[in-house]
Amino acid sequence: MPEETIFHLTKEGLARIKKEYQELKTFKGAKNKEDLSPEYVVFRDDADFLETRMAELGNIIKNARLISLPPKNKQNIVSLGATVLVSVDGQDDEFTLVGHLEANPSLGRISNESPVGSALLGRKAGDRVVISSPVKTTYTIKKVIYGRTA
Amino acid sequence: MEELLNFLIEVGKLKGKHRRGWQLHQIKNPESTAEHIFRMTILAWVLGSKKKLNMERVVKIALVHDLCEVYASDLTPYDPLLPKDKNKIKQILKRWPKFTPALKRKKHNNKYKMEECALDKLIFKLSPDLKKEMKHLWVDFEKGLTKEGRFVKQVDKVENFLQGLEYWKKYGRIQHKLWSRWIKESLDDPILLELIKALEKKLYQGA
Repeated sequence: MPEETIFHLTKEGLARIKKEYQELKTFKGAKNKEDLSPEYVVFRDDADFLETRMAELGNIIKNARLISLPPKNKQNIVSLGATVLVSVDGQDDEFTLVGHLEANPSLGRISNESPVGSALLGRKAGDRVVISSPVKTTYTIKKVIYGRTA
Repeated sequence: MEELLNFLIEVGKLKGKHRRGWQLHQIKNPESTAEHIFRMTILAWVLGSKKKLNMERVVKIALVHDLCEVYASDLTPYDPLLPKDKNKIKQILKRWPKFTPALKRKKHNNKYKMEECALDKLIFKLSPDLKKEMKHLWVDFEKGLTKEGRFVKQVDKVENFLQGLEYWKKYGRIQHKLWSRWIKESLDDPILLELIKALEKKLYQGA
């Protein structure tokens, strides 16, 4: 959410957005306005909302930057797309670092621009990352995994 | 007009609906859902004004986002783990709830379906235009379809955090360190993060 000019997206995230855009585009041009997947049905009765959403999706696709897998010798370092297994003040947890558009903390996907996400970037297994302001929280990175979707 | 009146009477029930999360923390006379919506809407308005957003949409999303709770349960992140014994609940609240990714998805999907059904029931007899608008605003909040929807989703967390720290200062029953951790994993909006910084500075002075 900090800036909406570049959208870092996982391969799955970008595919999902392209699929939605295509489906809405097809729906917009169709004579039969009943055929729409249930997940997009909210746009069926509101032309303005459909236009707004299509413009939003078009802008995202235009400015998307695909999160790619880092080279093997750098896969021990946390970057976008990494799933990070951590111990936080003695409690195990795991997150996948994604761009703000795909972030959903309740599903374990945290934004690379959140305080924790940005502090983990560039760190590797064994590192201790301290977030302090003013409550001190220590994240110990136990493992960095790539290729897992949250 | 009668249907509109019935809708308003139902919405009024949120004035007396205490938020469950605070009840679990044994907060006396905790805020209601309506009170949460009120301050959250003010928050969304005054902070949203600093961004290039459609403010009418921002305010409406904030007003609509928890209307489903007229009929839906007010779920907390701890729900599937909660025993009946109050002492055991205290122990559970000391740690952040941990679930497998599959269970997180299941919880998320179930919550969405339950709240959608509740909202549909609440707005069922409104005029088509009003019904459509309320549903779209709620879906935007839940799915983050627009800049406004994504912003208000984070504002919701900020209001919750602010209330949590206020209760911590007053009653000391809130695991404020867990909350601080949660908010720093959840937010990425620079303006909201600036507010969190100011809030922590204010509330931790002399803590």
